[in-house]
Amino acid sequence: MRVIAVGNGLAGVISAKTIRELSRDVEIDVFALERYHYYPRPNLIEFLAGNIPLERVFAFSKEWYGSQRIRVHLETPVTKIFPQSKEVEIEGKRKEKYDALLLATGSFPFVPPLEGADKKGVFTLRTLDDAYEILEFLEDHRKVVLIGGGLLGLEIARAIKHRKAEVEVVEFFDRLLPRQLDEEAASLLKTQIENMGIKVRLGVATQKIVGEGSVKGLKFKEGGETKAEMAIVAAGIRPEIQMAKEAGLVTDRGIVVDDFLQTSHSDIYAAGDNVQHQGKIWGIIPASFDQARIAAISIMGQKKKYQGTVPSNTLKVVGVDVASIGLVNPEEEGYEQIRMERKEEGIYKKVVLQEGSIIGAIWMGTKKGVDQVGRLITQKIKVTKWKRSLLEDDFDFSVIKN
Amino acid sequence: MGKWECTACGYIYDPEKGDPENGISPGTSFEELPDDWVCPQCGVGKEFFQKMA
Repeated sequence: MRVIAVGNGLAGVISAKTIRELSRDVEIDVFALERYHYYPRPNLIEFLAGNIPLERVFAFSKEWYGSQRIRVHLETPVTKIFPQSKEVEIEGKRKEKYDALLLATGSFPFVPPLEGADKKGVFTLRTLDDAYEILEFLEDHRKVVLIGGGLLGLEIARAIKHRKAEVEVVEFFDRLLPRQLDEEAASLLKTQIENMGIKVRLGVATQKIVGEGSVKGLKFKEGGETKAEMAIVAAGIRPEIQMAKEAGLVTDRGIVVDDFLQTSHSDIYAAGDNVQHQGKIWGIIPASFDQARIAAISIMGQKKKYQGTVPSNTLKVVGVDVASIGLVNPEEEGYEQIRMERKEEGIYKKVVLQEGSIIGAIWMGTKKGVDQVGRLITQKIKVTKWKRSLLEDDFDFSVIKN
Repeated sequence: MGKWECTACGYIYDPEKGDPENGISPGTSFEELPDDWVCPQCGVGKEFFQKMA
């Protein structure tokens, strides 16, 4: 049996690794667009910031592939799929046969239709080569604007700031991380980011990137402008589905898969950022990981269902601990919200209650009690008696009983 | 010795178990792991780990 994986990112590599764990005999070929062995994309931020040397960007070496007996073909893109004859076209030339195909083509950065987006000095960050290009240009262009104030935009801003350049983040929403945070938490985070020396401009839509040939600044729809010599667009990702679509597989925003990560064609599976499962595109590492393992299991003829991924409660945003669980921004009546804030320490906590039970929480600047609150939310326990005291730092959660 | 969680993929480093496949013997605390140790599950570096509460 021969499995071909299209893509050498996390989903492709983890699938290949899992297949090898399940079978010693299956032939595995991974075709990669990039010229590098596997590296996890979060490492790019640390590399961009200058916090880790190049060799630490990579997770699995050439030797690792060898020891796993996974043949990896770098800079050798699959260009077409022929589902009927079970073949793929490589580099527009030769063909290779497969018994099972895994599509792990990932995603690409979304660049909104912006006038001037093709100018010199406009970048996105997805690959190691992107990071190289940014670093090279940054050497003599020290005024940078980030278009997009989501997680990636903020992390890139922090990395660039660490390189001692001037950075401004421009965000369309009127607050940072609108899905994860409420107004108070977002404003506290903004203050902390500003304290790092990063400018934040909210509630503005970029109309065009100005400059003759090379970037000179941004013009906003609302009027006004900002100067910059370099623009990095971090406006989200889009699943890479072109090849699957052309091959006649069912696609929507992503490649549509069932609970076994099988596409509309038997023998073709998909995992990672390119996947749409039950209408949802996950686009987060833990989900790609789960999907990659399950796709591998399916390819090996076993049955295990993908039932979605439970994202981690806490994340670090520019070094700040942020937890956002359940419903954090109730829009209707009937909810009670209790808050605790110590601005000077950067600490903010909030619980959202409905009929005495916690249904949502934000924890910022501290992780103490996050797991316990998460459990209270899952177990829907009534906490009326402790609803205020549980926001205190030394609250003993063991006193809450059903 | 505390457990540490990979913020990228959710892998949990348990010092009691170590990471024998990568030459880390049981009983090695997270702090004692070499600087070039990476998450055995997804490959990110130590700086992506956070101590579990």
